[in-house]
Amino acid sequence: MMATRHLIIGGGTAGMNAMRTIRAEEREPSEITLVSSERPYSRMVLPYYLDRSVAESHVFTATGIQLTEWKVKALVGRRAASLDIKANVCTLDDGTKVEYDDCLIATGSTAVRAPVPGADGRGVHSFWTLDDARAVIDEIKPGSHVVMVGAGFISFTILNSILSLGAKLTIVEVAPRILPRMVDATGGELVAGWLKANNVAIRTNAKLTKIEDAKDKKRLKFASGGDLTADVVIMATGIRNNLDWLKDSGIKIDRGVVVDDDLRSNVPSVYAAGDSAQGKDLISGQGAIHAIEPTAQEHGRIVGANMAGKSIAYRGSLIINIVEVCHLDVASFGAWEDGKADAISGLKTDRNAYRKLLFTGDRLTGAIIIGRSNDIWTTNDVGMLKGLVQTGQPLGRFKGHLRRNPFDVKTAFIASKTTRTLLPETVLGRPSLAPGDSPVAV
Amino acid sequence: MKVLKLTPERCTGCLRCEIACSYMQTASYQPAKSVIRVSPFEGHTSYAPYTCTQCAEGWCMTACPVGAITINVAGAKDVVDDRCVGCKLCTIACPYGTMFYDTSTRKAFKCNLCAGDPACAHACPTAAIEYEEVETKDWLGDFAAERVSHVLAVNGGR
Repeated sequence: MMATRHLIIGGGTAGMNAMRTIRAEEREPSEITLVSSERPYSRMVLPYYLDRSVAESHVFTATGIQLTEWKVKALVGRRAASLDIKANVCTLDDGTKVEYDDCLIATGSTAVRAPVPGADGRGVHSFWTLDDARAVIDEIKPGSHVVMVGAGFISFTILNSILSLGAKLTIVEVAPRILPRMVDATGGELVAGWLKANNVAIRTNAKLTKIEDAKDKKRLKFASGGDLTADVVIMATGIRNNLDWLKDSGIKIDRGVVVDDDLRSNVPSVYAAGDSAQGKDLISGQGAIHAIEPTAQEHGRIVGANMAGKSIAYRGSLIINIVEVCHLDVASFGAWEDGKADAISGLKTDRNAYRKLLFTGDRLTGAIIIGRSNDIWTTNDVGMLKGLVQTGQPLGRFKGHLRRNPFDVKTAFIASKTTRTLLPETVLGRPSLAPGDSPVAV
Repeated sequence: MKVLKLTPERCTGCLRCEIACSYMQTASYQPAKSVIRVSPFEGHTSYAPYTCTQCAEGWCMTACPVGAITINVAGAKDVVDDRCVGCKLCTIACPYGTMFYDTSTRKAFKCNLCAGDPACAHACPTAAIEYEEVETKDWLGDFAAERVSHVLAVNGGR
């Protein structure tokens, strides 16, 4: 019998996790081919490369040695151009045809810039790829004025790095508040106040209309209010998943590839994971795109196990985000925006601490937490809130306690015996494997 | 594997475990940097130590984007400092709230069972913390559930 031929399209987090899981779970040796437009690296590390706390070599995940050890045939620098689901053939951008028995679509996302004149000009960057990071590193000097367009998660992940390079930072946002997709208005206000106290200028309701050259600087023009002059402009105005190449392939795509609980598309031999997949949301049970690292990891592991012949249904992914800005932790979980939930909140302005707990019945279905990073209280509560949302532990009498004191999460977590519910939970139905020398634990 | 067996009924709240832990983990006597933490119950009439269960999934380990959390010789999930970039993903992935972050080193840290000779168990004078070959479990749930009347009494505990 011929060895099964697995094709992994995309060398990001989902692809890496899938490859290692295939090798860990398979009973018979199979062939794995990886198609990756870039040499695989971790996007999560780029902010720390930007602030020079790690060397560039630290960003890479699938080194040559790693791929050899996993016996992966890597086609790096190539993109998938089309998929023939009847013949089971993927055609690459150079015309190469790769035959497969099953394949994973994990082609990730691309940064999108605000559609204004000058958005593609000199000195205007996205911060998404390693090449973007290299370009930004080259341009930011101590004393540079950096204007970041967009006050969302991506811009906040590099905020500390920009400040640590000695640059002056202004953030402009078209929405009325910062972090509109990560925290509520109260949380956004707390973070904005903290940033202003840390010398970060913030301008909301700022609709960018044009970016011009102004000698060796850049000038940003807005629908209202004065111009801004910058040395470096970073556009963090969103991402879009890379699925255009699948148009007319017969793969069912809504906002992402529509997948079932096994993460298969409408074509059983084709899986999708990470930003490419519209999979089950743990809280709502509905299809959603969770363009976050943990979803890519879990999707990749589930697909890898299923490609290796297991049949593991994914319970759904939980949206979780955390970012630290100037030693303030900001995190949210699950359905934190749910208007139908019973919301309990607490704000301690003097300690920059905020908790918002969203209940459906007596179960926590969403949460927001903000607090100082050097406060152990914050870090511990971050994890416990995740545990409460992940398990949906019935909180019974502790809901009333949290209503009186939204900050006493630990008592509710421990005394509601959440640990008991959590301990048997695993993603793949077995204890996880340590990463060893590889970059992924599966 | 050997784990930290916690018997909260024996805990007197002396905090020796926190002091020993912080000394072993960070070479300074700073309970604030301990990864085993003693919580008070019932208005400081009862206490219980709380730390990493070394769970089977290892949510911290599978969430790490750079493979910086591994399994050490004692079977504990352990942070490899040189690989950790400080992204905090493990702190939000761990559903038990037992990941920590050191703002001075900008690294995550956690209970690593002191690689097989846990300082907290040595330091505990009442055997509330023992290092034994038993299955990890929810050591505190029943104890805590019985000791919440104080916090629940206010406004009838609804």
